[in-house]
Amino acid sequence: MIRRFLEATGSYCLFLRQVFRRPEKWRIFWRQFVLETDKLILSSIVIVGVISVFIGGVLVIQTASNMSNPMLDRMLVGYMVRETLVLEFCSTVVALILAGKMGSNIASEIGSMRISGQIDAMDMMGVNSAGFLVLPKVMSATFLSPLLMLLSFALGIFGGWCVVEMTEIIPPAKYLAGLKYSYNGFYLFYSGFKMALFCFLISSISSFNGYCATGGSMGVGASSTRSIVVTSILILLFDLIVTQLMLY
Amino acid sequence: MIKVEHLNKSFGDLHVLKDVNLELAPGKCNMIIGASGSGKTVLLKNLIGLLAPDSGDIWYGGHRLSEMDYDAKKSLRQKIGVLFQGCALFDFETVIGNVIFPMNFFTDWPEEKKRERARFCLDRVNVKDADDKYPSELSGGMQKRVGIARAIALNPDFLFCDEPNSGLDPYTSSLIDRLIHGITEEFNITTVINTHDMNSMLEIGDSIHFICGGTVMWSGDRHSILRTECAELRDFVGANVLARHVISESVSSR
Repeated sequence: MIRRFLEATGSYCLFLRQVFRRPEKWRIFWRQFVLETDKLILSSIVIVGVISVFIGGVLVIQTASNMSNPMLDRMLVGYMVRETLVLEFCSTVVALILAGKMGSNIASEIGSMRISGQIDAMDMMGVNSAGFLVLPKVMSATFLSPLLMLLSFALGIFGGWCVVEMTEIIPPAKYLAGLKYSYNGFYLFYSGFKMALFCFLISSISSFNGYCATGGSMGVGASSTRSIVVTSILILLFDLIVTQLMLY
Repeated sequence: MIKVEHLNKSFGDLHVLKDVNLELAPGKCNMIIGASGSGKTVLLKNLIGLLAPDSGDIWYGGHRLSEMDYDAKKSLRQKIGVLFQGCALFDFETVIGNVIFPMNFFTDWPEEKKRERARFCLDRVNVKDADDKYPSELSGGMQKRVGIARAIALNPDFLFCDEPNSGLDPYTSSLIDRLIHGITEEFNITTVINTHDMNSMLEIGDSIHFICGGTVMWSGDRHSILRTECAELRDFVGANVLARHVISESVSSR
C-alpha cells in the first residue's frame, strides 16, 4: 500500500511537470482558459450561490436559538455567522461541494478522452496533451476560485440577513452591528488562500486521475469516484495544516 | 526509412514482441499483418513512440528514437500522421476544427490559409458539406476519412494507420484502402498499415510483414504472399475464403 502511494505521488509529480511546461502558443492557452473558466467557475455560481444563501439563513437560526442567555448580546449572532462563513464554510465546505461537481466533471472529461484515444492523438501530433488540457483548468480553478469564495461569503451574509428580516429572530440592526464587530481582514485572505489551494488540488488530482484512466467506461467511472474521494480527504487534511500554519 | 532492430516489449510476464526486426520501405504502403493479439498494435505504438520498448532500437533515418529528447521527438511527431483504430477525432471540435487543430499548434498561418488547407485535405478524402458537423454526427467511414484528412494536414513524411478498415463494410473499406494508397503515392509518404484484412493486403500492400507470436515470421510483397512456404502465413491467409481460392489457383497453376 505504501509502495502504491509513493508510486502514485511520484507519477502525480511527473504529471505536474508535464502540465507546467511552457504552452506551445499562448493564444491557444488563453482561449482554453476562457472556455475552462466558463465551464468550471461560471457554471458553479448557481450551486455555490444557492447553498450559501440557505446556509447563511440556517446559521442565523441555529446560532440565535443557541444563545438564549440574556447575558449574551444578540449582536453576537451576526458576528458568529460572519466568522463561521469566512473561516470555514466559504472555503472548506464550498470546496468539498466543488470537489464533487468540478472534480467529477474534469476526471470524466479527460478520462473519456484518454480511453477514446484522443489524448494519444494529441501526443502523436507533438502537442503536449497535459499542458493543453490540464493547465488552463488548473490555472482557472486556482486563480479564480477565490472569487467564488467571496461570492459565497456575500450571499451567506445576505441569506442570514433575509432570515433576520423575515423572522425578526434578532433585531436587524443587531445583526448588522455583529457583522461589523471586530472585523479582521486577514481572515478573508486566509479563506481565499485556502480556496485557491483546495481548487488547485481538485483540478490537478482530478485531471491526473482522468489522464491515467484505463479500462473503458468502468475505468472512467472509477477515476471519477477516486478523484472525489482523494480530493475530499486532502481538502480536510490541508484545511488542518493551513489553519495551524496561518491562524495559530 | 524506418528500421526496427531486435525490438522486445513485455507487459508483466507477457512477452508481446520478441526480437522484432524489420525495414519499412520509404514511399510505399507497408502492411503489418497478423492475427488479433499477435502484437501488431503494440509494434505500431512502439514505432510511433506511444510505448517505449524494453530493448532494441527504432531508427527514423539516421536517428534512434530512444535517444531523441523531448524537443526532437516533438519535431519528429510533426512529420508523422496517425489514423487510430477508433479514429480518435476530438469530440470538442467540428470536422474542420479537427483538421485545423494541428495547424493551430505548428504553423503561423492566418486563419484563412488554415481553412484553405483543411478544405484541401477534406476534399482529397471526399468529405464535403460536413465542415460544421461534430464527429458523433458522422458515419464510421466518414470518421475514417476525416481522420485521414487530419493525419495529412501537416504534410507528413510518415503515415501510420491502425486497422483502417475495422468496422467498415467491404465497399467503404475498399474506398479507404484506395484513398490511403493514393495519398501515399501522391505525397510520397511512407505508410505503415496494421491490418488483418486480406482484401486490403492484396489490394494495396507494396511491402508486407507477417507477425505471429510476437515475431516477424515473413516479409515480402502481395504477389509472393500467395506462393509462400510459411505454414503459419498460409493458414492465416487461407482463413479468408477469397484468398484461399486465389492460393489454390496459384498452387494448381504451378
